[in-house]
Amino acid sequence: MTRADRYLAAGILLIAILSVALFYYRSSLSSGKAASVGAVISAQGKIVRKIDLSPGGGKTTFLVSGRLGPATVEVEGKRVRMVDAPCPERICIKQGWIENPGESIVCVPGETVIHVEGAAPVDAVTR
Amino acid sequence: MRKQRALFALVCLLLGAVSAGLLLGQRTREYKSDQFLMDTLVSIRVYGKDADKLREAVAAAYAEMHRIADLADGFPQPGTTAYRISDVCRINEQAGLKPVSADKDVIAMLTLAKKYHSLSEGAFDVTIGPVMDLWGFGRNDPQVPPPGRLGEALALVGSKDLVVNEREQTVFLRKAGMKLDLGAVAKGYATEKAIQALKRHGIEKALIDAGGNIRVLGKSRRDIPWRIGIKDPRKADALTAVLALEDSAAVTSGDYYRYFEAGGKRWHHILDPRTGYPAAENMSVTAVTADAGLADVLSTVFFVLKPEKALELAEKLEGVDLFLVADDGRILHTPGLRGRVEVKAGEGYRHDQGR
Repeated sequence: MTRADRYLAAGILLIAILSVALFYYRSSLSSGKAASVGAVISAQGKIVRKIDLSPGGGKTTFLVSGRLGPATVEVEGKRVRMVDAPCPERICIKQGWIENPGESIVCVPGETVIHVEGAAPVDAVTR
Repeated sequence: MRKQRALFALVCLLLGAVSAGLLLGQRTREYKSDQFLMDTLVSIRVYGKDADKLREAVAAAYAEMHRIADLADGFPQPGTTAYRISDVCRINEQAGLKPVSADKDVIAMLTLAKKYHSLSEGAFDVTIGPVMDLWGFGRNDPQVPPPGRLGEALALVGSKDLVVNEREQTVFLRKAGMKLDLGAVAKGYATEKAIQALKRHGIEKALIDAGGNIRVLGKSRRDIPWRIGIKDPRKADALTAVLALEDSAAVTSGDYYRYFEAGGKRWHHILDPRTGYPAAENMSVTAVTADAGLADVLSTVFFVLKPEKALELAEKLEGVDLFLVADDGRILHTPGLRGRVEVKAGEGYRHDQGR
């Protein structure tokens, strides 16, 4: 084995190891095991806000403009809920707090969605 | 020495080839899209290699759902375009007057509805419209109707006076004042049409979540059955069970989702067409079968029936399974779900393994 052979071999080995590592890194990313938990709020088809859900976080409220008018969202630590909305049945408000990855609050008349991101334990929930 | 070198080179080559294969091939992409449709949020997830094809397939699936939604919509005001293109509006308008020609998909939905009206001995009825209107679910002012007016509205409910002529492709409501409500059929039927559209576009793995009505195509991304949770009817963030499904639909009817409170009682929106009042036998039922349209109809049928009757009917129907939480907290399911359901009964429920 000449010196050049050795360099070549080491090079190929390095590339091989790196690409295997990259593959597993990428597939772990795409399976959604992100470290930080957050929620995405969308209204009328657009993402209007992203929020952090961390255990130590304080209480905040803000308005989201839905199709029927402004709705009030409350965040407290790692959970989030809809506290006021101008929809007739108030299904979104009755649902209460959500905090687990994969959970959503959907206000159909207001076309507003709050979705907690991250790896959910199931692919979907029938209700 | 030479042998060793050759072996080393071979190992390097193999590793290189495997890693290149991992990186370049097997690039299964996910494409996900949400739309508000049919009074709910419809979410479609598809998997495949070509991003453009995935997008086209999902657009075609939504187009199918919009088409069915427009045909079945019972709410538009007279005089609007939405009213004119809704077969259901035109059929209701001509109640007691004359048959109306209807789209083949409306004929198919009504034929399905009539079949399960008779199989359930009247526990399911798409002519429930006049009674639903009286309760006013979804409006600003839902109310418990006075018994007298409820009686009058109930007299207009009855699928025996819904005439579906498959040969002529017409629909006729015999009595004036009768009214179709496809709320328990259309969403599931449209979901199944959307799955067919995805298949025509070459999609082999997909999940459609139409406001909690679930239909899966193939296996999940990880090539194992999809894991579908069944919501706990009394605890907001808990699951009662997890189903392992492939090429199947799971549709749930529950007493906890759409309701209003009056006189210290909760009144939910799934009415027993025989009494005109909300059905009270079950907290939640989940119908599991291949076709999402049938699953939608069956979830309402099973919800209205007594638990034992519902299980008996489910076992009689081929390819149909049922998971239910009875009003007294009993958790029951058909034998066909054994090995496909993981019960996570929490406090307040009783799961008898024997059943």
